[in-house]
Amino acid sequence: MKADSSKEEVHPCFLRFVTDVKQGKYSGSSEITSKTLDLLKQLIADGEFSNAQGMMDTIRAHGRYLHKALPLHASVGNMARRVLKIVREEYAAGSKIIKNKSEEIDPQESLHKIITSVESGEDYSSHVPDLKSGVLEHISEFEMELETSIDNIAQQAQEHIHSNEIILTLGMSHVVESFLRKAAAHRKFDVIVVDCGPIGKGQQLAVSLAKSKINTTIIGDRAIVGIMSRVNKVIIGTHTVMANGGLRALRSCHAVALAAKHCSVPVFVLAPLYKLTPQYLCSYDQDGFNSYIAPDGVLDFSDHPTLSQIKRYCPVFDYVPPELITLFISNTGGHAPSYVYRLLSELYHPDDYEI
Amino acid sequence: MDVQAEVAEYFCQILREDHDVSAGIAAIRTLLYFLEKDNSKTLQELDNKLSKAIASMRQTDYPITAITSATELFRRFITLTSLLDNQSFDKCKESMLSRGQLFLNKLKEARDKVGKMAGPFIVDGCKILTHSKSRVVLQTMKEAAKANKRFTVYVTCSSPDESGRLMCKELDAANIPCTLILDSTMGYVMEQVDMVMVGAEGVVESGGIINKVGSYTMAMCAKELKKPFYVLTESFKFVRIYPLNQQNLPKEFKYSASKLQNDLSKEHPMVDYTPPSFITLLFTDLGILTPSAVSDELIKLYL
Repeated sequence: MKADSSKEEVHPCFLRFVTDVKQGKYSGSSEITSKTLDLLKQLIADGEFSNAQGMMDTIRAHGRYLHKALPLHASVGNMARRVLKIVREEYAAGSKIIKNKSEEIDPQESLHKIITSVESGEDYSSHVPDLKSGVLEHISEFEMELETSIDNIAQQAQEHIHSNEIILTLGMSHVVESFLRKAAAHRKFDVIVVDCGPIGKGQQLAVSLAKSKINTTIIGDRAIVGIMSRVNKVIIGTHTVMANGGLRALRSCHAVALAAKHCSVPVFVLAPLYKLTPQYLCSYDQDGFNSYIAPDGVLDFSDHPTLSQIKRYCPVFDYVPPELITLFISNTGGHAPSYVYRLLSELYHPDDYEI
Repeated sequence: MDVQAEVAEYFCQILREDHDVSAGIAAIRTLLYFLEKDNSKTLQELDNKLSKAIASMRQTDYPITAITSATELFRRFITLTSLLDNQSFDKCKESMLSRGQLFLNKLKEARDKVGKMAGPFIVDGCKILTHSKSRVVLQTMKEAAKANKRFTVYVTCSSPDESGRLMCKELDAANIPCTLILDSTMGYVMEQVDMVMVGAEGVVESGGIINKVGSYTMAMCAKELKKPFYVLTESFKFVRIYPLNQQNLPKEFKYSASKLQNDLSKEHPMVDYTPPSFITLLFTDLGILTPSAVSDELIKLYL
C-alpha cells in the first residue's frame, strides 16, 4: 500500500548502488553486503524520524526497493532485515528504561504464546530519546562483525583440516581461500580445485593457493565424480543459504555434493551469517531462482556455422538440497543444516521475513 | 457419571453439526463449555474432573490423536493460567474463561495462516498428490485456486473409509481439476507429480507425523522418487509422544475405541506413523518448520 509513495522517495545513493551492482562494479557478495549496510547507515543518519515506526518504514521501503531491483543478491535484503532487527532491539531497550518494563517479549510465534494468549502486536510509535544514535552505534558494532566474519571462519580451519588430507573445493571464493591459507600455516595438505569455468574462476584460486605453497591440483568439471573417491573432504563457499538449509551456490556444486554423497565424503560449507536468508525454494523449476550470463564461455562465438542451430545457456547457480550437506561453518561456529531454522529466528524478526 | 456422558454428547454434537471443524478444536470447545458449567471449589478438584471429561471424549469413535494433543494443550493452558493469577480460585477461573476464548480464537486462525505459508509453494502447472481428506490441505488448495493458480490434484480414495472421495468432491466443487486414484496406484502416479501435500492428525516430538494409514507408504514412495513431501498442519496437533516404530504407537491411536476389545490382529489400523526423515517441511501456523524444529516448540511449551 505504501509501495507507490515510497518509490519516489528512494534515496539517490540507492539508485546509483543498484546500477553499480548490475554493471558488476563490485566483486563478491561481501563487498555488496558491506556497501548495503553503509547505505542503510547513511539513510538513518540523514533522515529525520519522529519515532521508531517511521525509521522502520523508511528502512523497509528501501530494503524492498533493493530486494526487487536485485532479487538474486539475497544478502542485500538480509542487511535490511538485520538493521530492522537492530532498530527493534534499540527501541525495546529504550522503552524499557522509560516504562520500566522488565519482561521481554519473544517475537517468535510459539505454542506457549498461543496458550498464554499474549498479544504480539507491539507498537513502535512512542518517542524514545537517543534512538538514532543508539541504532547507529549498534550498526557500527554489526559492521565490525561483518568485517571480521571471514577471519572468524578462517580461525576454525585447524579444527576441520588435518594433516595429509585431500580437500576438494570449487570455483573462486574468498572465504575458502583464507580458510585454506590459514590451515596451511599449520598443516600440510593437498587441495584439488574444480575449475568451474567460465564463471567460477577456479584457476584464480589455484594460483593464489600455489603462491602460499599449498599443493594444488586443478581439474575440469567433468572429472569431479572420478576424483571424488580420493578426496577426504569437500569445502565450498556459497552464494546464499536458504531457510531450509539448502544452498544457492555456484553451478556444479550440486554435482560435487552428489558425488560426495555417493562416496560418503563430508561436505563443509563456509557461510558467513549474512548469507542466511529466510527464503525457501518454492519450486524445483529453477528459472526464477537463477541468472544466466553470456554463454560464450560454453560455446565460442567463433564457432559461428553451428550457432544458429544450437541453443546455448549458461546458468550461474545450482540449488543444493540440505540433505547433501554435512556442516555449515559460520563466523559463530559449526551448525548442522537442520539447525538453520534456529539461527534464522535469532537473526531476524519474523515480521521482517517478508520484506 | 452423567456429566461425563453429557461431555461426550456435546463433543459428538459439535462434530456432527459442523463438518468443517476438526476434532481438536471440538475437544477444546467442549472443555471450555465444561469449564463454564463446572462448580469445583479448588484447582485440584477441577483438574480431576477435567481428566474424567477428557477420558469420556477419548471413549468416542473420533480420531484420538487430535483429541489427545488438544486436551493436553488445554490442561497446560489451565496450569499456566492458574500460575499467572493466583489470588483466589474464583478470580482464577474468571481469567481462565476469558483467556480461554482468546486461546480458542487463536487456534481457529491457525488454518488460514497455514494456507498463507503454503500458498507460494503451489506454482502454476504443478501436479500435487494428496492422501485422504484434510481440511487444511483443502483450504490451501482452494485459496491457491482463488489466486488464479492452475494446478491439478491427485487424491487417493483412501480405504477403508474412502474419505478421499469426499475430498475429490470438494475439490471438484471448487473447480480444481482432480483425479481420484486407488491407494495401490500411489507408486504409479508418483513419477508424474511434483510434490506430495498431506495433512496430519498429530505431529509427534520427533517431527514425524501420525496420519491416515497409507501416509507412510506415500512418504516412502515420494522419498524414493525424490519428490518433496510437505505436511500442512495446525500447531495444536503437536503431541508429546515419541514413537520408535509402527508397533510402538499406542493402540488407542491406531484403533477406534469401540474396536479395542476385539482381536486386534484381525483389525485394520486407522493411522500410521511417518518418521521425520521422510518429511521435507511442515507448514504450521508457527511458521514453516523443518521436522527438527517441532521438538523445539514442544520443549518451549512443556519445560
